[in-house]
Amino acid sequence: MFDFLLHIISIAGIYALIAVGLNIQSGYAGLLNFGQIAFAGIGAYAVGIGAHLGCSPLLSIPAGMVLAMAVGLLMAGLGGKLAADYWGIATLAVAEIIRTLAFNEDWLTGGPQGISGIVMPFDAGGQRADNLLFAGVIMGLLALAAIISQRMSRRRFGRALRLMREQPQLAVCFGYQIPALKRTALVVSAALTAFAGSLLAFYTGYVSPDYLLSSESFIIWSMVMIGGLGNVYGVVAGALLVQCLYSFIPFAKDLIDINTDIAGALRLGAVGAILLACLLGRPGGLFPERLRKIP
Amino acid sequence: MKPLLQVAGLSKAFGGNKVLEHIDFTLGQGEILGLLGPNGSGKSTLLNAISGFTAVDAGEIMIDQRRIDRLPTDQLVGRGIARTFQLPAMPERMSVMEVVMSAGIRHHGFWSSVLPLPGARLAEREDREKAAALLDELLLTQVRDLPAAALSGGQKKLLGIACALMGSPKLLMLDEPMAGVHPNLRNEIVDTLIRLNREGLSLMIIEHDMHFIRDICHRCIVLDRGHIVATCRPDELTHNAKVLEAYLGTPAQPLPEAV
Repeated sequence: MFDFLLHIISIAGIYALIAVGLNIQSGYAGLLNFGQIAFAGIGAYAVGIGAHLGCSPLLSIPAGMVLAMAVGLLMAGLGGKLAADYWGIATLAVAEIIRTLAFNEDWLTGGPQGISGIVMPFDAGGQRADNLLFAGVIMGLLALAAIISQRMSRRRFGRALRLMREQPQLAVCFGYQIPALKRTALVVSAALTAFAGSLLAFYTGYVSPDYLLSSESFIIWSMVMIGGLGNVYGVVAGALLVQCLYSFIPFAKDLIDINTDIAGALRLGAVGAILLACLLGRPGGLFPERLRKIP
Repeated sequence: MKPLLQVAGLSKAFGGNKVLEHIDFTLGQGEILGLLGPNGSGKSTLLNAISGFTAVDAGEIMIDQRRIDRLPTDQLVGRGIARTFQLPAMPERMSVMEVVMSAGIRHHGFWSSVLPLPGARLAEREDREKAAALLDELLLTQVRDLPAAALSGGQKKLLGIACALMGSPKLLMLDEPMAGVHPNLRNEIVDTLIRLNREGLSLMIIEHDMHFIRDICHRCIVLDRGHIVATCRPDELTHNAKVLEAYLGTPAQPLPEAV
């Protein structure tokens, strides 16, 4: 049971990091990125390919982050020509292109089987100690990311993003360069998400095209929406909640005698139902964004 | 008077509809210029063209003898131009104080907000003091922590002026600042604008309230169907035949006799 809890903490922590990354774009900057998982996938694949080539994680993690930031810049470039909703569809397409590449370029990505045998970058003496240390590291990083994100949102950059989100015309009038704000939000978000993706690859020990499924982007969006779009602590709570649900629903299989396929579908369905209930009952999420008062 | 804003040969058409045709005028430094005309005469389009929100078809716009009509909208603040909107839309999830603060755009980069950089701290402190003073001056102090979208129409106009002043502009363009503002506030705003003008701010004001125009403007331009039909002092407006024609139409022809 302890190992299982440790597992939930680690996985939920990693997804919460990705959700904090998405919140920078969707919560603060109002960008509808439906391809967020691409950044995590790039981070995970960078670690996988690095492990395959025998590179140090100190090289492969930053490499993944830089590549994800470049993809972020590419996505931001699309934003200049497309309205917000069409841009969202374009980001989904970019993520699908990256997944298809991962699926088909066997020589680099291992194709549908992916890359396995990724080992943890440290050895704390035994698997249990490793997992404990890893969970601790993830929680520490999550706390750091949430605090920085919260600090950023209250300060000058965060105010600019939130003004752009709500009244872009006013933001232009004040002299903000909207494309530059969008680029920065995407690049920061991509770097954090890719970092979380590489943690995921280390934690699970492998990486496959399934990491890049668009349903993963849906899960991350649900975490953000259920927790509270624009409120980073709400987003972390939403991630923990959804991940707990995800981890415990398979037990329902034993209780009510259903097969594995249905249990899998039930997971997505349950998240969808909670999301719908939230949207109808609490449109701002369980912990809605509050006004930030300036003393 | 040294010219601050010069507009020469400005034309703009939307499809076949010529909204502005060969507009020429100059606004001197320290001048308060009223922009009048009936609905659809092209006042707002002229203001949008100067503030970079509408691309012009022909002509030049210059501030301090430098052309600005090809500059991106977001760079006009740097040239000293600020404006307000006729129907100001304000954010729902930002407080009044936050909105005014966000109009101060120095040091708004990512790193300035994450690392304790001295420049950003100083800018934040200066902006906070300036924003508080502006809110006080525009009588918005008691609503500073409310969501900006929750203000009344008149208060939003005042908030728009406060934001515009955060950037210390040379030229402030106001689009119907008095529409929806309570008459009690009117004199306070007139006093504030006149004081700012004495401190060197030039103003261009679109307004239908003739008393306001008379109280504050040095000179008026009257637009009708895309042309400047009159340039005169505010007290001459009611005697100017072209102005009366623009607002009231041509004297009626006698009706043809019934058959």
